[in-house]
Amino acid sequence: MTNQPPAAVLAVEGLTKDYPGVRAVDNVSFSIDSSTVHCLVGENGAGKSTLVKMLTGALRPTSGSMMVNGSVYQPNTPHDARECGIATLFQELHVVDELTVLDNLTLGMERSRFGFLIKSDLDDKVVQTLAAIEPSIDPSARVSSLSVAQKQIIEIARAASSGANVIIMDEPTAALSEREVERLFGVIHQLREAAVTVIYISHKLDEILKLGDAVTVLRDGKHIATKPLSDVAGRSELIEMMIGRNLFQDYTPRSTVTDDVVLDAQGLTNKLLKDVSFHINRGEIVGFYGLVGAGKTEIARALFGADKIAGSILFKGRMVGNSPKQAIANGIALVPEERRTQGLFTNLSIRENIPVMNLRRMSDCGVFRASEEQTAAIEYVDKLSIATDSIDKHTEKLSGGNQQKVVLAKCLFSKANLLLLDEPTRGVDVGAKTEIYDIIKTLADEGNSVAVFSSELDEVLGICDRIFLLFAGSLKSEVTNNSDVDIAHILNVVTGGGEGTSQ
Amino acid sequence: MRGSKKTGGALIQNRRMSDEVYITLLVASVAVGLFLIASLLVPNFFQWLNLLNLVTNNWAVISLGVGVTFLLVSGNFDLSVGGVVALSGVLSVWFAQSTGGANALSSGLGLPYWLAVLSAITGALAIGGLNALFVVRFRIPSIIVTLGTMMVARGIAQVITQGSQRNTNLPVEFGVLGNLTAFGTSVKLPVVLMGVLLVVAIFIERKMVFGRLTYWIGANPVAATLSGIDKARHVTFLYLFSSVIAGIVGILLSSEFKSGYSNRGTLMEFDALVIALLGGVAIAGGFGSVVGMFFGALILAVVTSAATGMTLSPDWQYILKAVAVFLAILAQTWALARRNR
Repeated sequence: MTNQPPAAVLAVEGLTKDYPGVRAVDNVSFSIDSSTVHCLVGENGAGKSTLVKMLTGALRPTSGSMMVNGSVYQPNTPHDARECGIATLFQELHVVDELTVLDNLTLGMERSRFGFLIKSDLDDKVVQTLAAIEPSIDPSARVSSLSVAQKQIIEIARAASSGANVIIMDEPTAALSEREVERLFGVIHQLREAAVTVIYISHKLDEILKLGDAVTVLRDGKHIATKPLSDVAGRSELIEMMIGRNLFQDYTPRSTVTDDVVLDAQGLTNKLLKDVSFHINRGEIVGFYGLVGAGKTEIARALFGADKIAGSILFKGRMVGNSPKQAIANGIALVPEERRTQGLFTNLSIRENIPVMNLRRMSDCGVFRASEEQTAAIEYVDKLSIATDSIDKHTEKLSGGNQQKVVLAKCLFSKANLLLLDEPTRGVDVGAKTEIYDIIKTLADEGNSVAVFSSELDEVLGICDRIFLLFAGSLKSEVTNNSDVDIAHILNVVTGGGEGTSQ
Repeated sequence: MRGSKKTGGALIQNRRMSDEVYITLLVASVAVGLFLIASLLVPNFFQWLNLLNLVTNNWAVISLGVGVTFLLVSGNFDLSVGGVVALSGVLSVWFAQSTGGANALSSGLGLPYWLAVLSAITGALAIGGLNALFVVRFRIPSIIVTLGTMMVARGIAQVITQGSQRNTNLPVEFGVLGNLTAFGTSVKLPVVLMGVLLVVAIFIERKMVFGRLTYWIGANPVAATLSGIDKARHVTFLYLFSSVIAGIVGILLSSEFKSGYSNRGTLMEFDALVIALLGGVAIAGGFGSVVGMFFGALILAVVTSAATGMTLSPDWQYILKAVAVFLAILAQTWALARRNR
């Protein structure tokens, strides 16, 4: 409340956002100086994206206030935010591939009379802006011919030429190559010289240390610190601020873990993965932990035969086929990352969803056994406590947690010995989370193996016996879980730090 | 496990009618309602014989509707069935015509009739195979592929008949199949076959794994693949199945008229599509039934025949069909939205 210098281009004061049962952003106050690169860091779930959504008008705060250039700022829509000079660059690109660069730059700002476009000085203005940022891009080129980084530059130019003086960039380098990252950084420096403030969000700590002027750390929705990066003593201090507490740790070593290798993967390589090798034992829960884009989903899909991959995968000593059908027949099941689009048949009922992965059990010479289906549905609704009043309820109408349980039920019904769970608790409420963890542990205790692919550290630390750490397609390190596992080391590895160099 | 234990009994008791049964009932009652209204307006409409005629006169479109319905439920179109009707009919005539006729249109290949029929079905299968190849392997949208093969099939028929008809120099047994009456009644063999096809199709759809696979693939193709369903194989089967039905329909029609005519079956693909949509089949896939399609056909038949009975000029039939389709689909969308609100 006291330290708000007049130079602050953007300030938030006591900002809070409540969701039912959760306080996503908790009384956050900080300010951002004009013409700086201000970084925002925190773990998954720390409240970064909720904060950004409030800044861009996509969400309304429960309480607290925001100020832009000293005046009160209350955006109701992303459009309001732009009017106030705040533009956002999301992870997904919003350019139209079929149009030219120039058309894209003026998109939504065209002047027209009676529905006909008229020429204006706008064109010249945006061309000048683009030339100032990146002269190598031809304004008349078709956007589809540009690289991802160049498309991003188009978006930046559009933001800059719309008069924005604050540009929020959410994980802008996720899809960029190293060279493109360099160029993006060059552009950001130019923007800063042109008196534009950049709010930069990234998980990659090296980028932040290299690029930022100041950093704000969030943890569990709370504001931990805002300080100039020159006052920060390297990665380790950043990581310390991000973790701070003792993670919620309820891992207890499990006695059913064996040494029998069930799955042995050697040299998995594709566009993203680089020579990934590991093995999974019977009765074991292993975790694959890494940032978004580190290659978790790619490994899961490869093991399941859903994507082609170089390298060898042996399951119970035999080659796994190259289709999900063969993987299921061999005893592998996958709970996919996106349950609504990849896991569930949302317009079908719970009863009709469960039998799909084990048709042999469901049929006599091709005739479907309806009574068996009903028995199975009742059994799994009961076993997984799926909250519903009827097995004929459309899965569309279930909550996220219950939908996920239906997907799990599908996989359990296939009687798989190896269960691959890609982000098993994303968008699932706390109660259902615990229940899903219990189901996973029970399965492993029964002698099955489970692989959890997750970007939530709490999750892998809570249930996994062994954790593989991934960064940018490589398996960097393997950690055996125990109650005093080195969390700083894990975070250091998955954010791109050299192995064993932290602290 | 947490939470109150529900008994299996409650989970079944709470079961309500599925959306599909609901829509099918809705379609059936509309069909019955329209029939009753037409009976009030048109003299002599309310007769068993007339009701029977509504079905028997439409055996061809209803048969095609079976294949089209299965494909729609799986999320795919089949617009080629009308063309296949023409192609297989013309092929069966051409293959069966004896050699050495007076001119090009009266001389064929002189195959025995059974072989001519088999070869014509093979021709139909080739179109179905082409559909499957482009849709499944090259992943081209089915509406484009089957629009193309529709023209390919009819085009070949056109070339073989030189844009006209082939109806001379045919063996005597050629006209038997299409005109055979069953069990001493006036019901012809094709109608009986349609009945058998409907029963078999309903059994496959409701009781067999094959039917279930069709719904799963249509409801969510990605989830189906990730659940171990061989989508490519299944959709290939469906295209072959649909083209064989269309092939047999074409052979029966040319037998009935003792001629091969390249314009036969024109617009039948659209009629088949229309009755499926009237019957509540979702164009996006994953929803609908053969029974619904059958009642959809009844709706269309009642509307068109009542119009004829009311001495409305046949020129108005298309507009009437269009109005019926729009109303029916609006009503279904509204009823489903209301129910699931």
